[in-house]
Amino acid sequence: MNIPMIYALLGITLFSVGLYGLIVREHLLRKILALNIMGSGIFLVLVALGKRSVGDLPDPVPHAMVITGIVVAVSATALALTLMLKLVEVSGSAVLHDAPKERS
Amino acid sequence: MGGLLSDAHWGVLLILLPLFGGLCSFLWPGAVKFIGLATVSAVALSVVGLGDQLLTTGVYHHAVGGWGAPLGIDLYADGLSLFMLMVNALVGLGVSIYALDYFDQGEARRFWPLWLLLLGGLNALFLSADIFNLYVTLEIVGLAGVGLASLSRSGAALDGAMRYLMATLLGSLCYLLGVALLYHSAGTVDIPLLAERLESTPPVWAALGLICAGLALKTALFPLHFWLPKAHASASAPVSALLSALVVKASFYILLRLWLEIFSVRTEGVDDLLGALGMAAIIWGSLQALQQTRLKLMIAYSTVSQMGYLFLVFPLAAAGAFSAWSAVAYLILSHALAKSSMFLVAGNLMHFGGHDRIADLDRAVQRLPITVGAFALAGVSIMGLPPSGGFIGKWLLLNEALNQGRWDLVIVMMIGGVLAAAYIFKVLGFAFTQAPVTHEPKGVPAIMEWSALLLAVAAIVLGFLASPLMLILGIGETVQLMGAGQ
Amino acid sequence: MEAIDIALGLFDLLLVFLLLWLAWLVMSSEDLFKAIVLFVAFGLLMALVWVRLEAPDIALAEAAIGAGLTGALLMAALDRLNAVKPMPAAAVVTSAKREQPSLPSKVLPLVALVLIVLGLGYALLSLPDVADGLVPNVKEQMAQSGVKNPVTAVLLNFRGYDTLLEMVVLLLALLSVWSLGGVRKLSPRNTNPVLASLCRVLVPVLILVSCYLLWVGADAPGGAFQAGSVLGAAGVLLLLSGWHVEQKILLWPLRFILVLGSGVFIIIAAVLFFTQGGLLTYPVAQAGWLILLLESAATLSIGATLAALFFGGIPKSRVDQ
Repeated sequence: MNIPMIYALLGITLFSVGLYGLIVREHLLRKILALNIMGSGIFLVLVALGKRSVGDLPDPVPHAMVITGIVVAVSATALALTLMLKLVEVSGSAVLHDAPKERS
Repeated sequence: MGGLLSDAHWGVLLILLPLFGGLCSFLWPGAVKFIGLATVSAVALSVVGLGDQLLTTGVYHHAVGGWGAPLGIDLYADGLSLFMLMVNALVGLGVSIYALDYFDQGEARRFWPLWLLLLGGLNALFLSADIFNLYVTLEIVGLAGVGLASLSRSGAALDGAMRYLMATLLGSLCYLLGVALLYHSAGTVDIPLLAERLESTPPVWAALGLICAGLALKTALFPLHFWLPKAHASASAPVSALLSALVVKASFYILLRLWLEIFSVRTEGVDDLLGALGMAAIIWGSLQALQQTRLKLMIAYSTVSQMGYLFLVFPLAAAGAFSAWSAVAYLILSHALAKSSMFLVAGNLMHFGGHDRIADLDRAVQRLPITVGAFALAGVSIMGLPPSGGFIGKWLLLNEALNQGRWDLVIVMMIGGVLAAAYIFKVLGFAFTQAPVTHEPKGVPAIMEWSALLLAVAAIVLGFLASPLMLILGIGETVQLMGAGQ
Repeated sequence: MEAIDIALGLFDLLLVFLLLWLAWLVMSSEDLFKAIVLFVAFGLLMALVWVRLEAPDIALAEAAIGAGLTGALLMAALDRLNAVKPMPAAAVVTSAKREQPSLPSKVLPLVALVLIVLGLGYALLSLPDVADGLVPNVKEQMAQSGVKNPVTAVLLNFRGYDTLLEMVVLLLALLSVWSLGGVRKLSPRNTNPVLASLCRVLVPVLILVSCYLLWVGADAPGGAFQAGSVLGAAGVLLLLSGWHVEQKILLWPLRFILVLGSGVFIIIAAVLFFTQGGLLTYPVAQAGWLILLLESAATLSIGATLAALFFGGIPKSRVDQ
């Protein structure tokens, strides 16, 4: 097993850890962090597997895709955070209602 | 390089026009309604242009930047894409006209830029032949959808929008990981090339699972529908109409497209799983709809159930191909028209009575005959009674299931029809009776009544247009043509 | 094997271990502030990973956006969250009840996590060891792209259409945030004179760095996204140091800058479409400066959008109320 593959495996593990956090943790801020970690994991898979080329140049196409992905992620994060704050202003809770409420 | 000079690039216009309109409406808030209506009309005309072009010259193909796949991104339109663009244009026009009178000044200024960019994203989605590009369009649709869902800023709307945002982001991420696996399996993100190159290997199965799960979540397939009722029911009426009629169809379209082009020969039982979940959605969604006491929630659960019908295509498509998926395309169009009409009706009733409690509709039929008439006509299509688009779609699907001896699907479809009739007649019943508590009604602007009716009438008229529409759907017969090698 | 390779291999393993540990802590730590700090550290380590994977463009973007701006957004959100009224008493009671989650609800997600890792890991390991991806195609067409940095060539030329749509995504996020009515101002701090004077030095430097990244992006790591996020960071610093702008400037000119990136992209796409017969088909001779033009507009918009997202509020205007 080579180094890029180890990073790719790290990527899917991060994806899964994020997914786990998204499902298990209730605070919306935590869910937003979880989605960001999942995203980082996917970006790792994309780029690490692009290093399997024989030449000296790593595949630039996944690099461009990941830069696109990072911008999409920060956009979604900003929107999610604002939505969370508005929700807290209205409902007083940063947890979606039908789940049991959590403090902090 | 680009196409010949002779063919007009309606497809490119369909993407650039609404995006440009969206930017303009943001820059000139004073003219949003004018810019919005002009843009949506121009989009509708471009769809007609594209339809004319496809009928004469066959599928549309455009290599963006002149590079061509696999390095560049290709645009592609066949009958199925055209059909989805028609859905956008028809529902978009109806809802846009309705929105003219629905929103006050401040809301209109926030609604139009988001809606026009959503329309641009949807059009781009239906024209894309590139799975990574599809991811970006999905994000446009998702973020615009969330912005629209929270437009009214009420507590319920914020709650619904938050659920929707979480679901749509998770769905996108699953889809993106699937795209990453497919890219590294085949060295391309172009759908026709993927169809040629992909083999049945573990990474492809994993990608299939991730993409199906992500898109099923975005399409609210049972049991991943948990976010939909609150998000769709708590949004403003025109927004609910757009979300239920267009946005959930977009992710379903990608799933169907990928299925037909790439995954159909590599399914390993996933088709039956999707079919079974579709059946469960039909029954569960209808039963939930029947129990609702609020009209908008009932309509939203009806969407969960009607989306279930679409998923019956997967077990049927393997053997039936065109006859199966064309039936589903017909269902998409008729559901989009009928469901958007229903949400607009609900908006009228809320405007009229200040609530949407089904039991307190209080002789709405006498006081808002056009609105209730629209609901009844839309209901005919949702129930699948003749003559309506819903009838044709369900009839074709039923035939296909009978031909393939899938009695389980036949029975579930029948039960679904009966349950739909039950929840729709329940509403109509209360619309005729006097409520115990009467209230001060408010007048409903004529434009809002008539646009709802027009959409419902369109859903009925579809019942008479089966042969020309089938001709359109047959353009390029997706299954064989897009994947050049298959 | 050279000693340096072994050392780097050990470094890689250390990074992998640290990232996993940090990700787990971000998810499991009880304190949200701690989770955010750890998340920023996670982002910085990710930037190191990108360097190790020979992806310097991503390393720059990750450091500026992934760790920097996302971290600032998260911190600002936590600050605002704490400023909102404390949780109602009912929430505290139910949270006490939650102390003991049932065993299946604790174990099942963990089992699912392990199964997913194993399944996806198996899928990854069955990929062929060597795959060229699109490397040959990119190499073949680089001369026609108008730039020398392959990542910029992909982002702005080969797959420029993705980037056009991505600019729309960024704008949509801001439109949606504004549509929500904006959020309350960050809890007031006395403007720190040290911070203010630091800003006077740092902001011009950041603007210069941004220009440099934009210019160099054609040939070396850098480009509109990195430049834009550095510009956004300069905006965030200004906002933190209590910078105020005339309301008049914030209305039309700000909106104009926000749509500049996607607007110029769409207009160029349309013009090329009518003159060259193809969407975003640059004539080879003009590709270089067209890309620079697109990137300059995009940089301004990205910087303004990111700073506006951090600010959170809508610039007050009569028309929008």
